[in-house]
Amino acid sequence: QDYTLRATANSNENDEDYDGLQVFKSHVEAASNGAIEVEIFMGTQLCSNGAECLQGVADGSIDIYISTSGGASGLFPYVQVLDLPYVMADDRVAEAVLSGDFTRTMRDMALEDSGDSIRLMTIGNTGGWRNFANTQRRVAQPSDIEGLKIRTVVADLPQELVRALGASPTPIPWPELFTSLQTGVVEGSKNGITDIMSMKFPDAGLQYVTLDGHAYMGALWWMSNQTFQELPDDLKRVVVDGFYQLQQATFASPKRKSIQAYEEFVAGGGDLYVPSPDEKAAFAEAAQPVYDWFTANVEGGQEIYDALTSAVSEAESELEAARAADME
Amino acid sequence: MLVLFLPVFLFFLMVGLPVFFGLLFAPGILLWLNGQERDITLLYRNLYNGMDSFPLMAIPFFMLAGELMNRGGITLRLVEFSQALMGHFRGGLAHVNILSSMLFAGLSGSAVADTSALGSMLIPAMEKQGYTRRFAAAITAASSVIGPIIPPSGIMIIYAYVMGESVAALFLAGIVPGILVGTGLMVLVKLMADRYDFPVASRRHTWGERGQASLKAFFPLLTPVIILGGILSGVFTPTEAAAVAVAYALIIGLFVLRTLKFSELGDVLSKAGITSAVVLLLVGAAMSFKTVVSLSHAPELLAEFILTLTENPLLLLFLINLLLFAVGMFLDAGPAIIILGPILGPVFTSLGVDSVHFAIIMCVNLTVGLATPPMGLVLFVAASVSNEKVETISRAILPFLAVEIFVIMLITFIPEISMTIPRLTGFAD
Amino acid sequence: MGGVLAVLGPLGRLNAALCTAGRAIGVVAIAVMVAVTLLQVVMRYVFNNALPWPDEAARFCMLWMTGLMAPTALRHGGFVAIDSLIAALPVRLSSALTLILLSIAMLVLVMGLSIGWSEVNGLGGRFDTASLYLPTSLSFDSWYRIPRSWMMLSLVVGFAMLILVNLELMIRAFMGLLGAADRLPMVRNPELGSAE
Ligand code: NA
Ligand code: NA
Repeated sequence: QDYTLRATANSNENDEDYDGLQVFKSHVEAASNGAIEVEIFMGTQLCSNGAECLQGVADGSIDIYISTSGGASGLFPYVQVLDLPYVMADDRVAEAVLSGDFTRTMRDMALEDSGDSIRLMTIGNTGGWRNFANTQRRVAQPSDIEGLKIRTVVADLPQELVRALGASPTPIPWPELFTSLQTGVVEGSKNGITDIMSMKFPDAGLQYVTLDGHAYMGALWWMSNQTFQELPDDLKRVVVDGFYQLQQATFASPKRKSIQAYEEFVAGGGDLYVPSPDEKAAFAEAAQPVYDWFTANVEGGQEIYDALTSAVSEAESELEAARAADME
Repeated sequence: MLVLFLPVFLFFLMVGLPVFFGLLFAPGILLWLNGQERDITLLYRNLYNGMDSFPLMAIPFFMLAGELMNRGGITLRLVEFSQALMGHFRGGLAHVNILSSMLFAGLSGSAVADTSALGSMLIPAMEKQGYTRRFAAAITAASSVIGPIIPPSGIMIIYAYVMGESVAALFLAGIVPGILVGTGLMVLVKLMADRYDFPVASRRHTWGERGQASLKAFFPLLTPVIILGGILSGVFTPTEAAAVAVAYALIIGLFVLRTLKFSELGDVLSKAGITSAVVLLLVGAAMSFKTVVSLSHAPELLAEFILTLTENPLLLLFLINLLLFAVGMFLDAGPAIIILGPILGPVFTSLGVDSVHFAIIMCVNLTVGLATPPMGLVLFVAASVSNEKVETISRAILPFLAVEIFVIMLITFIPEISMTIPRLTGFAD
Repeated sequence: MGGVLAVLGPLGRLNAALCTAGRAIGVVAIAVMVAVTLLQVVMRYVFNNALPWPDEAARFCMLWMTGLMAPTALRHGGFVAIDSLIAALPVRLSSALTLILLSIAMLVLVMGLSIGWSEVNGLGGRFDTASLYLPTSLSFDSWYRIPRSWMMLSLVVGFAMLILVNLELMIRAFMGLLGAADRLPMVRNPELGSAE
């Protein structure tokens, strides 16, 4: 082979990220007729967080890396736009938005900010949607969550959201979360169901999940721009298509995985609550301060927020039209 | 080619290159020869990021807490308490030495601190009662290895961090093995005492006297309760528990028992800081080393090789005990864990050995290595506090080592010894 | 030889002064680490209001503690090594071996310093810390977000100090090689502990 792409994800082999990488590897290696080899390193073998992995991407010691929005926000604060609650209504909207120009806008911003070294290839999904889950009680409306200690990552936006809802954000490292839930250091978290089940959080008492879907768990797939630009055009095509395949795979994978996760959660005695549209509106209302905070305090916040909201309304009207056509 | 990093590393280690430089130099030079210059940057980055960790902070904290307790005259109270309980037995001070080590282990994560703190107090006292100096030094060194087995434990924090295990699980898993080592040593002392007619340390203490001694030792003995209770009940993370232990040691040393002076604090902080700095650099370098271990696919190759020897996990565990024991003779426990953990851990977990169980096997084995001739660190410390020759202590310690090796075998082949407590408390499957 | 000794004297004094300063800052750093970690426990339990910054602030201090205190350890032989071969060899041979090993250490340190410096100035250094701010006005109404490079600088400073110490050790080994070990100035030994 002529090119070796070194891809890394900080998650393990049960994660959607791995599914995506497998699809990418298989497509790229086949379509390039063996000219490109993809080496996959799962976990923290090469680097262990957004800062160091993205630095590796920037200097080319890592070719491909997937981060969450939290992982990249230290360098590209505007990627937190994906964490803004209740902006995208469901999977169809999110998938249409992320397949379109919104992702290209974000790519341009990141390329500019990184001195043309870090390239956003695509945005997929890693774990479905974030929901509020806790060890204490069913949360049907914002007042139910008041006063709970909710684990967040150390990033501004999730903390602002938890605060806006009257709960107290508590930073706990992911590996310590199980113990912290078990022993009451924190009383809740905001995660997707597959993560909740794979970490066995219900065993630690996390028995109440409210499907408020407050944030899409976007997976940002980065590539070293230098590595990408050094490829001849025909191979660039292969890589770009590979990321399309990867994106589609990560859209699908959490849906498949979450079926079993929800079943297991309920079978284990978990309380799964689906808020009514009114209740969901109440959450969105309570979360209002977060939008103001985002556009006022985050560099590039207004620009990316506008890009997202206009992409969302465009996607929504296209989807409405498509639905109408399908129903005729 | 890259897989040569291990022999290259071992060569430079044997000729005397400090572990820290060896961990970076061996992989670095091979990456360079391999034309992988860009990955040398990866080495540096993992060194830095390897140190940038909150869980690791438990190392300086526990070191500091142990040092504060030690200066605070708390050791003396533990010894008096042990004496009130066991001083009247034949071989009383030898028993007191072992029991004190077990109690001290609950405050400190270091065998060296144990040897120097208890040795400087008990070796002269034992000599005065007619024990030979070599016997006193040997029992001090042998029992001090309990320090890092009973929680808190510096090497377990390192292992948990480098290997991604739960510190709490390892701490809990170490309790019974630590008590077992202590009990084993006491049984041996009892046998020797009857045979060689060891002296009795004191008359039997009345229950009133014992009560008074426990009252004086009450505050120090509360430390492990606070640490473990705090972690178990989730009041704090292990790192926070370590900080609480520091605060607790300060308060009882300065205000309650008034055995510590403000003027001593600078020295204590400085000593703990310097020692931790070295350990943290080593852990960081280990994380770099681990990166190259991954890039080279060494664990897969090693696993394949090991499986050509035998596929019987019990036999493999036995072989690994021999290997670890041999390594422990030459290398300190921390660096050995740092180097061997990433290489051996995956091999054994893939064979179905529980990762916490394997961690304990490794930690206990390498800790006992600290007291094993010819290079055991604790032997040198025991030699310097007792003014006895290392060679002499090395011979005197052999029967105790035999007991400890027996305990290692028990721990290796009966996983329940280490796994029961973490399982019951939900910290291990 | 006189020339070498003339370099060694000032270099030794410089290193002694730098190490003393490093230890002093390190002592403050470790005290701050304990204090902010305890503060977090209190805030979480007593006020039910965990703070976002103590974890990162404590790590900030720990990294600087390591960078600034490690040179003292190197200067006083506190870096873990198997030194039985060196101890077994005759003086000149052992000085030669020591010199070779110190040269390897020097290579590692110089590489580390150069990579570290470009890392600090590179993209990774431009990342914001997650939660550390510095007030930029006396009224505490404007804040500067501390970049990660301020933390990363700790190891670079550490490597620079280690290089100076290593140079001193190399000169001492070189003097030993020439058979002049007895003319070397003494290095006072502060108390060192062990992790095991
Ligand atoms: Na201990
Ligand atoms: Na002892």
